[in-house]
Amino acid sequence: MSTLTVEHVARIEGHGTISVDVEGGEVRDIRMDVIEPARFFESMVRGRRFDEVPLITSRICGICSPNHALTSIKALEAAMGVEVCDRTNLLRKLLVYGSYLQNHATHLYLFAAPDYVNLGSVFPLAETHPDVVQRALRIKKLGNDLTTQVGGRPVHPITAVVGGFTSEPSVSVLEAMHTALLDVAKDAVSTAELFAAFEELDLSTGGEMLALSSADDYAIYDGDIAALDGGWRKPVAGYRDVIREDVAAHSNAKHSTVDGRTFMTGALPRININGERLVDEARAAMESVAGLQGSRNPLHNNVSQAIELIDAAVRCAGYIEQLLAEPGESTPVEYQVRAGDGAAATEAPRGTLYHWYEVDDDGIVRAGDVITPTAQNLANLESDMRAFAPTVAGLPEQEFLLAIERLVRAYDPCLSCSVH
Amino acid sequence: MAARVVVIGLASDFGCQVQMTNIEDDLLDVLGTIDLVYWQLAASGHMPEEYDVAIVEGAVTTDAHVETLKRVRETASVVIALGACAATGGIPALGATGDLEAHYGCVYGQDAAQVACGRITPMAIDSVIGVDYVVPGCPIDTEEFLVVLSRALLGLKSRVPAEPMCAICKTKENVCFFERGELCLGVITRTGCGARCITLGRPCTGCRGVAPEANLDSAIALLAEKGITAERLFERARLYNTLEEALDR
Repeated sequence: MSTLTVEHVARIEGHGTISVDVEGGEVRDIRMDVIEPARFFESMVRGRRFDEVPLITSRICGICSPNHALTSIKALEAAMGVEVCDRTNLLRKLLVYGSYLQNHATHLYLFAAPDYVNLGSVFPLAETHPDVVQRALRIKKLGNDLTTQVGGRPVHPITAVVGGFTSEPSVSVLEAMHTALLDVAKDAVSTAELFAAFEELDLSTGGEMLALSSADDYAIYDGDIAALDGGWRKPVAGYRDVIREDVAAHSNAKHSTVDGRTFMTGALPRININGERLVDEARAAMESVAGLQGSRNPLHNNVSQAIELIDAAVRCAGYIEQLLAEPGESTPVEYQVRAGDGAAATEAPRGTLYHWYEVDDDGIVRAGDVITPTAQNLANLESDMRAFAPTVAGLPEQEFLLAIERLVRAYDPCLSCSVH
Repeated sequence: MAARVVVIGLASDFGCQVQMTNIEDDLLDVLGTIDLVYWQLAASGHMPEEYDVAIVEGAVTTDAHVETLKRVRETASVVIALGACAATGGIPALGATGDLEAHYGCVYGQDAAQVACGRITPMAIDSVIGVDYVVPGCPIDTEEFLVVLSRALLGLKSRVPAEPMCAICKTKENVCFFERGELCLGVITRTGCGARCITLGRPCTGCRGVAPEANLDSAIALLAEKGITAERLFERARLYNTLEEALDR
């Protein structure tokens, strides 16, 4: 038996190696070995003051840091019974969507697109297709501008704290962001058209699909856990009883299951579960992509992200209109530090993110738990890889491995997030 | 010939590499002046045998990281430590406190032995190899990165600000947190970020490292006047600077 490997898979966040065991021309086994070193975040937050926790957990991931910061803040607020105002919630959603714009643009253009045009990176496109690269950079920059104006910088927000914000953007900044968002909505439509036109390999995941869901919103900041196949909804407060995590022998990231099955989280499950609550422009784009609605093809996660870019741009413009129409303050509310425990979830760009903390009377964290989107997806990804590999096993070795890499990249994995 | 540059990630959240991609306006210009021969985050390909400049992000937390760094130092004429993790150990170095096995047990439970191979106590990269240039901060400031990279490419001497940030903070007309009896680490933290957090209403948490010119004794005395104990100062300062010897007292 021989083993083919792709070490340090490129154009994903974090370090992972694909290993394919081959015997007599047949694929015997295939694994995603996560070689990111353990960083012990759940252990490191123990004994720290609650207000340091968002600073620490934000450093789980440089790409979805707004989600880690906000999910830990929401969990701590749940633990201590802190209620925040609507304005704070609107600003927090802007912060999350800033990371959607940044992440999806980076993932789609910098990481995924080169695969569709047989390139190793996006850099050669700067010469051959400068308009496409400029479009990618415009969307990404707007995402960064949004997180910077609301959170203080593109990576690791400063202003978001338990109870509210320590600073918020001025009216003139909000007005400028509003204009920029509506401009970029057009770039997002072009992005969706581009990815809808790429031919996808035929593949169907056998796993369940999970996403946050709420009746009145395309849930990214709030909602219950919803299962596509199972048809159930369960409150986030009990997530640790819903999602089972196990240590996997070949991976520093744990593997997750729900109802005894592997599952997928991310843009495709979100579109499948909450597609009808997308803004009109995004829903129209979704309906125009053949075979997307109800799709079980994980490679459709790419075009789903592109559709979410349209939703993010249009929706955020609407949030800013609300902020401008109803002036107010997001200054942190007064609260009492008290003992308790609390869970929270948000939809990070690459899937649902869960945090839970137990705090004592002095505000010292006694225990914490984090389940990242990629940790949830890994078992399902491996299962898809096993199903997919035989169908492309006839290809020359390099093309075969590239096909597997494409599947990996479609999940938009964040391996450093997965080991935290 | 353009300098051949590699970007390497050790234990980190990739945030500083993300910041490198966040110099949108200048990214294509910068790429035009260097030969970026390896960057796993952005391009397919293998680590080459030869290169000139190594940009290293992340803390050292495994045997493999130590071996990687030794090879890098043998090959590269210039090594740049990118961000707090590489420069001081940063947040990953919180794992240097307490017993490694206890950390494993807390995260992985009974199955810790399956995943524990090769993990060592976290270190900054200069504990393993010599470092020529440092971009401090968590995350890095993109403009500061471009300045450091330019200095490295031009062969200019390394120049990291050594003084604490109170002076620059005053020029921003920020109200001092000490006036409200709140702890702010600007008094001992390396300047160079424009006192960004404080200007946005948040006390400095020390991500840029302890300033070599900081006067810890006078900081302790100043805080005592405001009713803040030295213990709290040091506890907060260790958040990003667990390995800082100046705080061992």
